[in-house]
Amino acid sequence: MCRRAGIQSGGSGVVVRERMAGVDLAVDLCGLALRTPLIPASGTLAKEALGEVEGVYGAMLPKTTTPRARAGNPPPRVAETPAGMVNSIGLQNPGVERFLQDLDAFDAGVPLFVSVAGDTVAEFAALCERLAGDDRIAAVELNLSCPNVECGGLIFCATTASAEEVVAACRAVAPGKPIFAKLTNEGVVENARAAQAAGADALTVINTLPALTIDAHRQKVLVRGGLSGPAIKPVALRAVYEVAGVVEVPVIGSGGVVSGLDVAEFMLAGATAVQVGTASFVRDPREILGEFSAYLREAGLGAAELTGGLRSDHPLVTGGEGR
Amino acid sequence: MKFYTAAVEGREEMGSYTLLHYRWPEASVEPGQFVMARTNGYPVTLDPFLARPFSFYDYDGEVASLLFEVRGRGTALLDRALHTIEVTAPLGRGFQVDSAAGRAALLGGGIGVAPLKVLGRRLGAIGMPYDVFLGFADARTARVASEFPGSRVATMDGSVGTHGTVLDAVPDLEEYPAVYACGPNPMLVAVKRAAGSGCQLSVEERMGCGNGSCNGCVVPVRGGGYVRSCVEGPVFRAEVLAW
Repeated sequence: MCRRAGIQSGGSGVVVRERMAGVDLAVDLCGLALRTPLIPASGTLAKEALGEVEGVYGAMLPKTTTPRARAGNPPPRVAETPAGMVNSIGLQNPGVERFLQDLDAFDAGVPLFVSVAGDTVAEFAALCERLAGDDRIAAVELNLSCPNVECGGLIFCATTASAEEVVAACRAVAPGKPIFAKLTNEGVVENARAAQAAGADALTVINTLPALTIDAHRQKVLVRGGLSGPAIKPVALRAVYEVAGVVEVPVIGSGGVVSGLDVAEFMLAGATAVQVGTASFVRDPREILGEFSAYLREAGLGAAELTGGLRSDHPLVTGGEGR
Repeated sequence: MKFYTAAVEGREEMGSYTLLHYRWPEASVEPGQFVMARTNGYPVTLDPFLARPFSFYDYDGEVASLLFEVRGRGTALLDRALHTIEVTAPLGRGFQVDSAAGRAALLGGGIGVAPLKVLGRRLGAIGMPYDVFLGFADARTARVASEFPGSRVATMDGSVGTHGTVLDAVPDLEEYPAVYACGPNPMLVAVKRAAGSGCQLSVEERMGCGNGSCNGCVVPVRGGGYVRSCVEGPVFRAEVLAW
């Protein structure tokens, strides 16, 4: 019997009944045990809001840190769009040393990932070297693609060479730490291959999309930055699907996830874990995890079984015989 | 962010503004705090996508009130909400009140009069005397002034009260040991310059999340950089702001 059909019909029989008692939400990401596949997208969860999300996330991921403090961009920084928002925060942060002093606030009893960004390859590497010896940090995510911070007019993902260079330099100085490369949508497949070749342990796909909002009444640009939210979900989903088809390392899906079904879709597309960002501004993330749990319960599946479930050789498709 | 479904208790038209009452028996409200509100969120609507921040206008322990002006689709929908709206718990840091401070001046500009009602209620409760000064564009927006008995009013077009800004209605702001103001940024800058120490300003910024996560609603602070108006504010001591 094809178990994929079981997902669509809501499942039946022994498997479902066995799972009703509890749903197995755990996934393995680069050897790290995550109790749920959800991760807060970098820059979307303040320490003040941690109390609201207890038990939701399988790992923590605070806002990107940089070598020195950044004031960020002058307001206005956010503008609403249909099914999303455009932000131009400018990586406001207190700098890596202060960040590390305050990092314990993000100790939620789950693996702690840290997002870093530098203006140069050397800055990325210096950050990774600084974090490499900190036992609190389980993995480092390289923000190669923040579209609202310009470094000489180009983001690091703009060329495969620079993405590869950054990952290789970071890999070399942090041998014991899993390194995730967060990629932008443009050129994502080429950049994914390059990042993997340079030693990335996982790929976060995708960052916000370059976008612009205009205030027609005042006849001026409102916010020029990155678009996030459900508006970008189909774009992100395609990027995850295509990247997962060509790389061996795990893919962390990100972009427009707003419901438990979205989480399932990203995992079916090939994601091992899924980031929730902008949705947490408009929903209680506990609801998203609840919906995802309900989906798994109905499908009679554990979270880890979903990953890549659309591939022709996946057990969900072959009925467990073609792994 | 957690949103609660709240029953709409009623609505009053006040010139250009709408006063919306909703049942809120949960957490108590501090003067100057705000709430993120919307008619519906996911999955009913993804557009408008974000909730809107509103200062509490009033709260009696059972019913909370929001005063707003229809400016876009989010507020237009709220203006038509019949049975329920969705709201967060009260958010942010409100006005610090100290009955020993002496006489207070409450200044509101346009829709910025909103937090002064519940603030006045609090000041009355702790026995702190105060005067209210309100500034509006015209007679229609000034209609809400009737909710502030004894207030002095100024309008930009001179149709009601003093002709000019809210500051033109205040005899001598420096005489007040405590000043509380809410309104558009240019007004707050002017109030800050005219007031002595003991001045607190409630700022109005575009907001994404309301709980400190998105860093969207920042204001510049003295010494450089920005702070979030949703968590560190929306009420700030005037001297903190780099205006």
